Amino acid sequence: MLARVVHLLPTELKTLLERLPEQMQEQLEEIRIREGRPLEIGFRGQSRFMMIDGNLRQTADGAYKPSADTCRKLLERITNYSLYAMEEELRRGFITVSGGHRIGLAGRTILDGGSVRGIRDIGAFNIRVAREVIGASAHLLPKLIDRTRKTLHSTLILAPPQQGKTTLVRDIARTVSYGLWPAYEVSGWQGRKVGIVDERSEIAACVRGIPTFDVGPRTDVMDACPKAEGMMMLLRSMSPEVLIADEIGRPEDGEAIREASHAGISIVATAHAYDLQDARGRPVLRKLLDEGAFTYVVELKRTEQGVMHRVVSAETQGRQASSARAVPLRRPAADGVHGLTGRQRADDP
Amino acid sequence: MIKLLGAVLILFAGTMIGFQQAARFVERPRQLRQLAHALQRLETEIGYGHTPLPEALERTASASPEPLAAIFRKAASGVWETESFTFRDSWEQAVRTQWAATSMRGNEQAVLIRLGSILGISDKEDQMKHIRLALLQLKAEEDAARDDQARYEKMWKSLGILIAVLIVILMV
Repeated sequence: MLARVVHLLPTELKTLLERLPEQMQEQLEEIRIREGRPLEIGFRGQSRFMMIDGNLRQTADGAYKPSADTCRKLLERITNYSLYAMEEELRRGFITVSGGHRIGLAGRTILDGGSVRGIRDIGAFNIRVAREVIGASAHLLPKLIDRTRKTLHSTLILAPPQQGKTTLVRDIARTVSYGLWPAYEVSGWQGRKVGIVDERSEIAACVRGIPTFDVGPRTDVMDACPKAEGMMMLLRSMSPEVLIADEIGRPEDGEAIREASHAGISIVATAHAYDLQDARGRPVLRKLLDEGAFTYVVELKRTEQGVMHRVVSAETQGRQASSARAVPLRRPAADGVHGLTGRQRADDP
Repeated sequence: MIKLLGAVLILFAGTMIGFQQAARFVERPRQLRQLAHALQRLETEIGYGHTPLPEALERTASASPEPLAAIFRKAASGVWETESFTFRDSWEQAVRTQWAATSMRGNEQAVLIRLGSILGISDKEDQMKHIRLALLQLKAEEDAARDDQARYEKMWKSLGILIAVLIVILMV
């Protein structure tokens, strides 16, 4: 994982991080760089401070502290020496670099008429290493296939942050777009046209409008576009059969989803929520669920074994398909079955 | 016979030295003008094209005559060739190493180096402001250089010959 982002780092940070044990480098999820403050790295959901000698500790004493010069070099590298070309990114507070890695920024903001115009004096960076897990949706997809319409059921995926929602929808987009239906009886179906509204440039990680992740040959991406507007634009212009949106929750998102679901399009959306109960506490999601905009709700949970999912039928609110499986995030594909580690029952998650 | 040959050589050398000095006074305003054009081009690339800096510099280089083009090209490639460089380092090194090939002086070098320390690390308006400031300063230098040209170009040309003649007379 470190190898994928190492080209972004200034020499001093690079040499330091390359001292990490190889296994740790593989599991790296976040590198947090704060000017003049201890260097923090995140892996497997934990965080540690990095010492000058390359060891990891829980306490910040004696930790390596990146200098102003190091931060300047880092900023230059991630912006390709062109901060002026990143105005939109600075307004949003993060930069997506090729490879899909997202770098969050914090510092002093510049206001323009009360709204944030950008960030200057950037003093903190959070490099989130992107994972592309091919086959992450292999176990989930068969349950979501709509056999009468030969497409997917509208699905809402629920999980707290950092549980693999984006990784999952990206894989769904790719699989559906390629037409690699993971169930025997539907293997002859062709792929579907997929539209992705990628407000935070996370799903497809577009760089100048071109996806850097493989999201499939029949996929169109509306990058950095507000979800509600993007969904309507794709509906009008690109005639998608499956529409994918990340992190819905605003009233206008609900409006757009309602519109799309009445247009006969399957929607795969994600939202921040612990489970279905939790989601029903949010007015927009509750309304959508009550109206039957989604056929299924999927709850994701990340455990030691991998990502567990639980499929719930949204209409009956019952627990029809309540099987859950562990899909390890970093297991390479084997024998045509992607990332299978065995079955586990988890009836009460 | 040998004396005559020597005298001719001295005259020739003196004239050449004079012309060469004069040429520096002709070249300087011309290069300053070219530099101003190049910076205007850079300003357009940054302000309106949102072109990433290395690419903007490459384009500026391809539109500029030598020896200026070499400065921009080197500044753009320096950041990739030396990993530990910030853009400021790369720019400064490019300006300093290529400077000898130009006819420009220390003042304009200082303007360029100052400009390099902010290129690429602020927003669009700020970048354009700094480039315009550098352009103003270069314009002032260019005016001064034109005055110098008017004053010293002829002087150096005649001075070369005259000194050569003086040496010849003294030797005879």
